[in-house]
Amino acid sequence: MTIDWRRIGIKKLAALISEKLRTKGIDTVLVGGACVSIYTKNRYQSFDLDFVTHATIKEVASVLSEIGFLRESSRHFTRHDCPLFVEFVAPPIAVGKEPIKAQTELKTRLGLIVLLTPTDCVKDRLAAYYHWNDPQALDQALMVAGAQKVRLYEIKKWSENEGHTEKYREFAKRLKRKKG
Amino acid sequence: MLEGVFGNITVEKILFTLYVYGEGYPLGMARTFGDSVNRFQQQLKRLEDAGIVASRLIGRVRVYTFNPRYPFLGELKTLIEKAFEFLPEKEKGAYYSKRTRPRRTGKPL
Repeated sequence: MTIDWRRIGIKKLAALISEKLRTKGIDTVLVGGACVSIYTKNRYQSFDLDFVTHATIKEVASVLSEIGFLRESSRHFTRHDCPLFVEFVAPPIAVGKEPIKAQTELKTRLGLIVLLTPTDCVKDRLAAYYHWNDPQALDQALMVAGAQKVRLYEIKKWSENEGHTEKYREFAKRLKRKKG
Repeated sequence: MLEGVFGNITVEKILFTLYVYGEGYPLGMARTFGDSVNRFQQQLKRLEDAGIVASRLIGRVRVYTFNPRYPFLGELKTLIEKAFEFLPEKEKGAYYSKRTRPRRTGKPL
């Protein structure tokens, strides 16, 4: 199979990398903006793929080099002709203080992607909004919550535990307006 | 004190600095402790890679804080707080009691 690395989409690349690593016994979970891209069908375009793995970066680097992705800095990988870059963030997989147990499995022609559930993806974006006041992260949370089925009650409870009830209200208000 | 846990004394200095002041930058820490900037930069990078600290650029200075999204932050801060209590007063006075309130531009010292 020939891959057009210059035009490859985020979902394809995520599948390719996840599958390549899985064949070598390395499990990954896709987190961050790439999940937003996938859940919103690219209404939000992310240019980086953040994976969490418990494997060492050395092990990951050796596998990714087989498909031309080379270690750029301590945790980043790039391929000379691919506009997307890949990062392996430190475990554990968590949103705020809460560990993530459930994940979504997405089967594609290029392989299986294990990623955050839509509800955890919204929490992940909201965490950035709550802690860093990042308005883009709030927009992304709204996009995912608008495009996917999410458990709002769970998000509300989690927000309260994180100590951000007020900001959750802002999110809920804007989501209600968005859904009309 | 925490050197044994974190592997080196520089990390201990960084964690105490962030605990006391809320934020810090490599050159500032290096000046405070009379150490090399490179040593602090290396350890801050390591802590950032592990998700323990986060950084942002303010002008040309990279300022570090604890990463509020680090899942064990509460527990880590409890440990640092406890260790800080055991720090000799002399050290606290020398390194962890700098003025942080604002000083109006142009005001003589």
